[in-house]
Amino acid sequence: MDISWFIVLSAFIFCIGAAGVMTRRSPLVILLCLELMLNAGNLALIAFSRMVGNVEGQIFALIVMVVAACEVVIGLGIIVAMYRRKLPIDVDDMAELRG
Amino acid sequence: MSATSWGWLVLAFPLAGMLVIALGWKVLPDRVAGWIGSAAIGGAFASAIAMLIDLQDQPEEARSLVDSAWTYASTAGFSVDMSILVDPLSVMMCLIVSGVSFLIHVYSVAYMESDRSYKRFFAYLNFFVFSMLLLVLAANFVLLIVGWAFVGAASYLLISFWYRRTTATKAGIKAFVINVIGDVGLVIGAFLLFDATGALDYAGVFADVGTAFSHNDGQLVAACLLLLVGAFAKSAQLPLHTWLPDAMEGPTPVSSLIHAATMVTAGVYLIARMHPLFEQAPAAADISAVIGTLTLFVAASIALVMTDLKRAIAYSTMSQIGYMILGVSVFAYSAGMFHLMTHAFFKALLFMGAGSVIAAMANEQSLDKMGGFRKAMPFTYATFTAGALALAGFPLTSGFFSKDEILAYTINRGDWFVALAVVGYITAFLTAIYAFRLVFRVFHGEPSEQARELEGGHLAHAEPFNPATGEAEDTEAGFPGPEHHIAEREGAMKAAMGPLALLAIFAGFVQIPGVTDVIEKFLEPTFAGSHYVHDHPSDSAEYMGMAVGALISIAGILVAARIYLWRPGTSAKLQERFAPLHTLLSNKWYFDEAYDLGVVRPMTALGRFGRTVIESSFVQGFLVGGTVGIVRAGSSFARSIQTGELRAYAAVLLLGLSAIVLYFLIVAS
Amino acid sequence: MLTIHLTIVVFLPVVAALIGALLPERIGRWVVVAGSVAVLGYAIAMIADFGAGTTGMHYVTDAEWIPELGIRYQLGVDGLNLFLVALTALLWVAAMVWSAVRETERQKLFLFHMALAETAVLGAFLAQDLALFVLFFDLMLVPFYFLIGGWGQGDRVAATTKFVIYTLVGSLLMLAGAVALGVLTASHSGNDLSFSIAELAANPLPEGSQQWIFLLFALAFLVKAPAFPFHGWVVDTYRATPIPVLVCLSAVLSKVGVYAFLRIVLPTMPDASVHFQDLILVIAVFSILYGSVLAFSQDEPRLVLAYSSIAQLGFITLGIFAIDDLGSQGAVMQMVNHGLVVGALLFVIAVFTVRAGGSPTLAQMGGIALRAPVLAALFLIVTFATLAMPGSPNFVGEILILFGALEDKIVFGLIASLGVVLAAVYAIRLFQKSMHNRVGPGVGGSDLSALDFGLIAPIAAVIVALGVYPQLILERTEDATTAQVAAAAKLTEDGTPSRADQQREPTGEPGGDGHGSAEPRQTVTSVGTDGHSTVTETP
Repeated sequence: MDISWFIVLSAFIFCIGAAGVMTRRSPLVILLCLELMLNAGNLALIAFSRMVGNVEGQIFALIVMVVAACEVVIGLGIIVAMYRRKLPIDVDDMAELRG
Repeated sequence: MSATSWGWLVLAFPLAGMLVIALGWKVLPDRVAGWIGSAAIGGAFASAIAMLIDLQDQPEEARSLVDSAWTYASTAGFSVDMSILVDPLSVMMCLIVSGVSFLIHVYSVAYMESDRSYKRFFAYLNFFVFSMLLLVLAANFVLLIVGWAFVGAASYLLISFWYRRTTATKAGIKAFVINVIGDVGLVIGAFLLFDATGALDYAGVFADVGTAFSHNDGQLVAACLLLLVGAFAKSAQLPLHTWLPDAMEGPTPVSSLIHAATMVTAGVYLIARMHPLFEQAPAAADISAVIGTLTLFVAASIALVMTDLKRAIAYSTMSQIGYMILGVSVFAYSAGMFHLMTHAFFKALLFMGAGSVIAAMANEQSLDKMGGFRKAMPFTYATFTAGALALAGFPLTSGFFSKDEILAYTINRGDWFVALAVVGYITAFLTAIYAFRLVFRVFHGEPSEQARELEGGHLAHAEPFNPATGEAEDTEAGFPGPEHHIAEREGAMKAAMGPLALLAIFAGFVQIPGVTDVIEKFLEPTFAGSHYVHDHPSDSAEYMGMAVGALISIAGILVAARIYLWRPGTSAKLQERFAPLHTLLSNKWYFDEAYDLGVVRPMTALGRFGRTVIESSFVQGFLVGGTVGIVRAGSSFARSIQTGELRAYAAVLLLGLSAIVLYFLIVAS
Repeated sequence: MLTIHLTIVVFLPVVAALIGALLPERIGRWVVVAGSVAVLGYAIAMIADFGAGTTGMHYVTDAEWIPELGIRYQLGVDGLNLFLVALTALLWVAAMVWSAVRETERQKLFLFHMALAETAVLGAFLAQDLALFVLFFDLMLVPFYFLIGGWGQGDRVAATTKFVIYTLVGSLLMLAGAVALGVLTASHSGNDLSFSIAELAANPLPEGSQQWIFLLFALAFLVKAPAFPFHGWVVDTYRATPIPVLVCLSAVLSKVGVYAFLRIVLPTMPDASVHFQDLILVIAVFSILYGSVLAFSQDEPRLVLAYSSIAQLGFITLGIFAIDDLGSQGAVMQMVNHGLVVGALLFVIAVFTVRAGGSPTLAQMGGIALRAPVLAALFLIVTFATLAMPGSPNFVGEILILFGALEDKIVFGLIASLGVVLAAVYAIRLFQKSMHNRVGPGVGGSDLSALDFGLIAPIAAVIVALGVYPQLILERTEDATTAQVAAAAKLTEDGTPSRADQQREPTGEPGGDGHGSAEPRQTVTSVGTDGHSTVTETP
């Protein structure tokens, strides 16, 4: 199978994720979209790995998954903490870092 | 011991005295400190005599000894040693300074007794004597300037000795600043000489004067004029004289020692010391002679109308120094130095007498309130009159010989110098009048309340007040304390005034033209290189001058007697008749006002302008504001990017990423 | 000759401070103080070891540091920085003791910052590599930022901001200049990239590039000095800074800039120094007059000192840019003197401000001398030294500067001598308004405490001792100083030699061994090549 199909699919998923990150206001959905973007990257990595014929890309993908898992844990933890403190769950309201 | 070792001892004694008194201020009893101070000066005087004896043992051409203790500063061609010069001129100055100082110290032991800062007074006074001796013994310009500035500092400290008086502190700062102007003049003058000769010690500079400078060379004249700025600032000559009358804010012994007998004559010493320079630059010497003459006349005219006893004597000091400056500027060095010596005696004496009178008056200094002390204070009366006779140049007193010698030498120069001598004779007439105006107004006439009380055996008492302003005094610190000490009752004061009175009358006999000539012969080695050393007026010319001087002096005294003694109302009538003249004189020719208008106010205004305009608008507004503004603008731009909006950040990130990708795509294709 | 490791000297204070930080407060602060006392001991040992007329660089430490950038770790002592190191050590001990015995909040932290500042200043004085100098120069800013911002009084935030922005802008310009100087020199001479000052001086750039680099450096150092009109930070900083910090800032930090003129600018950029001589002289003379005039119209003692420092630093700059041996010798002398005097004065002011009920204005003071005669006596000595009274060491410095300036640039010299008169006015006025006159409303209290006496009196004693024997400094600094100005002086020489030289030259008299037309002795102070103890370390 031609590698371009995988690349197109990966790009497609990445764009969906990126669009989601930029348009949605709920942090939960943004996290989901981030996962989509990461997995788009993983797909591309594995595809290339197959094409080249060694396993380095796959190892990379595994590491990315681990990082993604950590990120989700932290992100969800923050969201839960915000629920507990009854803060609004809206990224636009969270602009404390404004200079 | 050699003469120079004695010279170092001359310096060491007062320095040690100062250190002992200053460091022992907590433990020493007052009187003990006073006697330690006096003993130190006595030691210096004894060493000076030893120095004289040693020096006289040397052959005449070897009577100029230099001794160096250590290298003071030497770098890059600038080389100065801590060295002293012992020659007849410096020995004579040492003798006068330490001798008169010793007597004044003894006087002060009693006079200052009720002062709370007694020990501070003696520490300062010893410091002054040390500085003055350093000034006269210095063998190079830098050490001279050091001594020069030290006496200025001592003078400042003693003028503002009663520092709770605002008038005293103001007078102090005025004296100090004018003296610093003089110091700067000396420094630049020394530079011009250093520039041309490469040396800073007297011997080196004088040796090169003939080769480095042509006659009346511009640079040399400039250097001499700058030295004169120093001399005039210190010796209160026009136009740098305004500090001296104000300096009378200091305790009377200070006026007597520093502002009459010793420090203010340093300018005369300087010109005498620098005679090789002035002879090579006669233009500068002529200017000096003219200024000396102007000063002697102007000051005498002011002394005629001053009602403050001490200020009147201060103007008389200025006037007499004018004579000395005239003398040394017409190259009559021994005459100038002779007058310096006799003046030290009689002027110190006059101030001591004035101090005694002021104490009896419970600190009042105005002549208008004094009178009739003759019976109440016979001893003071006798000594004061002796001083006044010498000042007036009464025949055969010391002032008579010395003043007339200066004028005789001046006439001898011929030319327009005769005019200067004529002014000198006119002023001698004024001098006799004002000297006896003081005697008659203080001691004769209707006895004042205080004089009557003193005759009854009591000392007048008054609440302490500032004689210049009439303000009540802050009695917490310093004189005037509860006790006043007057010469009539204090052995120490009498012991100081007695010898001075004798010297004031008889010291003139050491230098009777054609008869004794002791001073001239003694000083000859110092001035051996002078072109004018053998340029004497003839004996007959001198005797002529003396006759004229004697007549003028007696006439002046008679005029004073007529105005103030025989017809007491005359002075008021004269004042009325010559009202504009009187206003001019009693305002001291408006010098203070001119300085205030020309220097003090512009400077203050400049400071205010700097503070309000330059600082706030230019430095703080433009420069600081500008720099801070730029930094602030940059940071506010950086801040405006940080919106805190997560989605905006993501968008920017993506945009950046796509830009990079696009770039690579374009490059690749 | 002793073996002294300068690395130990430089880092001793900060190491002591780190150790002190781990110990309990009561012992810890004395450990920090002990560190700076040890540095003072080293400084005295160096002066004793450094015989009169010694030449060249001593106790050299020279190691490779960042070879890719040609940066070396070079430290060394010569006559030029010897006494500045001693001055730093002395005043830091005084300042540290002063703050150790007083109630200070977060005392250990305060002392740590002070120690770090000492290390930075010592490093800047000792560095013989331009990059290392820049590093220490910028490091100085860090502790002072915290010291002023954290322990200042009044409007300390504004003061800190101004101080930091001003000096930071200056040091950034200098950084740019330093990089440019190193890189351009390397490409111009074809050698490897090097920031060693000796190497830079050996291969001067063409005049065109010297000129703009000179301006960058000059701006940085004039801001630091401070000179008119770059003194905008001075007023607020002097008002807000705590006294011990201000002592270090005013007495020592201000000297780093002028020191760098002599150490770096004159030898490496001689042509530009001569080219801009008049410009810098105008700034110097203007600083003297402006500082003096403003100093006597100020009502706060601290501000009198602030403006008087501008004037004094103007004198030092004047001496350096007279570009001759006399002037620069005077400048070196005056750097030390001004440091001593201003340090002592600030302590005195701190003491009598307390006596005057804490009021900062002179109008509220007066008559303190009666209650505190010892304080008044010390103050008097220091005041006379401040106004460069003949007999004080400052006079020797000032007369050398004036002679140097008069010899080559007579107009500047004459105008500057006006500053001497003005100095008398402001110094005496400060003394009088606080010590004399009627008693001020809030004035009370007793004389100097034994401890404060123990801090101020030694400084006054050093001043008096130097007044009696200034040669102590002059004979040790002469060689190094003349070497620094030699390159630039050679360029001005065809100007106006003094009359004494003109007359001497034909006869060939040996007596005038060259003021004005000094023979260039040694264009470059070479590091580690003249057989002195060379210590090599690898950091």
